[in-house]
Amino acid sequence: MSIKTLPSRPHNLFPLWLSLALALLWLIIWDLDVAFQDLVYGIADMGEYLSRYGAPNLSNMSSYLHLMIQTLVTAFWGTTLAFIMAATIAPYAARQLTPNPFIYRIARELLNFMRAMPDLLLALIFVSSMGLGPLPGVLALAVHTAGFLGKFFAENMERVPAGKYEALSAVGAGFTQKIVFAAWPSMLRESVGNVLYIFDRNVRMAAVLGLVGAGGIGLELHDALRLFKYNQASALIIIILLTIIVIDNLSSWIRKVLN
Amino acid sequence: MAYISLTAVHKTYPNGYCALKNINLDIQAGQFIAVLGPSGAGKSTLLRAMNALDPATQGEITIDGVTLNKKNYRKIRAHVGMVFQQFNLVDRLNVMTNVLVGRLAEHSWLSSLFYLFPKTDYQIAEAALREVDLLDKAWSRADKLSGGQQQRVGIARALAQQPKLILADEPIASLDPKSSEEVLKLLRKICSEKGITVIVNLHQVEYAKQFADRIIALNAGSLVFDGSPEQLTKAKQAEIYGTTYEETSHDAELVLAYT
Repeated sequence: MSIKTLPSRPHNLFPLWLSLALALLWLIIWDLDVAFQDLVYGIADMGEYLSRYGAPNLSNMSSYLHLMIQTLVTAFWGTTLAFIMAATIAPYAARQLTPNPFIYRIARELLNFMRAMPDLLLALIFVSSMGLGPLPGVLALAVHTAGFLGKFFAENMERVPAGKYEALSAVGAGFTQKIVFAAWPSMLRESVGNVLYIFDRNVRMAAVLGLVGAGGIGLELHDALRLFKYNQASALIIIILLTIIVIDNLSSWIRKVLN
Repeated sequence: MAYISLTAVHKTYPNGYCALKNINLDIQAGQFIAVLGPSGAGKSTLLRAMNALDPATQGEITIDGVTLNKKNYRKIRAHVGMVFQQFNLVDRLNVMTNVLVGRLAEHSWLSSLFYLFPKTDYQIAEAALREVDLLDKAWSRADKLSGGQQQRVGIARALAQQPKLILADEPIASLDPKSSEEVLKLLRKICSEKGITVIVNLHQVEYAKQFADRIIALNAGSLVFDGSPEQLTKAKQAEIYGTTYEETSHDAELVLAYT
């Protein structure tokens, strides 16, 4: 169809939406009674408080390192279990692979549910039911991050070109064979990135999980803070920080090697 | 009795688009058949109905005495090779593994989980690679090969299925003229020497006349020509492509989605 006159220009509603959003933001600030001058007074107090951490006490280093390793192990096993769960559920939550739409819905909702349960809450539940120690921490991390990993994997699987799955269907391959020969090799790079990100996140989270009694360095930090032992606390924070920096660099190095 | 027979085959997509209308067709074993027709005529749908990647919505398709039904799709596909326009190799795996994929229907999901194949499969894959003259590339990654080479790997994968029938869905549409001719010569050789029935979708009338024993043409889902290459005169060609050109191009977007 061809026409001779320029059609009227489509309306651009962006300015309207922007002003509405800004108005809403202002309304929220006004409603919450946020006072910016408090922030200015607070800065001086915060400076005084932070100065108490000035002299880290490294005399307990070997026990701290032991706790840090326990934290790392917690994160590692949490990630491994999460990987196994996610890899099992993800194909059912990927449109091209799922056996039927009903199972697809269930798998998606299961992943949503796991993601929606905060890991601190899960850790509390597992600590209450299984007792103190790193195991409830591992399970809490595993369940929560399996939700994330499963969603990432399912989406990676959906991004694989349909033809790759069709080629497998055309040779008479079954469900598992499609996953092993079409999905995983095609999405390997993204998925390794996802797993490293989740591990990185789990190390940070495992350091906090100690607060609810799920083992690791978090409990020690919690105690030190509660007893106002700022020098011990600062030593612990330094160890956690260094570990996270090392893990972060290590995972970006692995990603670079894989590419 | 005919090797493949289609009786009153219809295909209507869920969106109501009717891609095949009352196709009746008998194909003898060991023939090289070219399928012609404008984009969207239903060439791909016809091929994809034969191995039930897009099952026919009405009518009956019988291959080697077995009628296609939901329960025997995988069994039938195991011995029907398919060659794709986009090759659909698993890029990250090596050529040998891509050819071994053709053997998957013979194995349980458990051995596939660990990428395990018996020695005899390696011999079959080696023979297939020798047939397409790519033994030297056996351990290269599939995505490092040129288009023509990748398509030959696709053919080797089909050969590894030890098929009696190979369906080639526009196998040369993404290749340069030189590779195109190589691929068609290879398919012709496989047909003549091994007695494998080959059905090829093509856009080039000249190639169809050069290689095929029999030419079939579709337009708007109906069979409009069926005969020997000599019978396909210029007037017939115009009938297939020219006179109905307007009719098929006014909904070009709809058509593209099914090529």
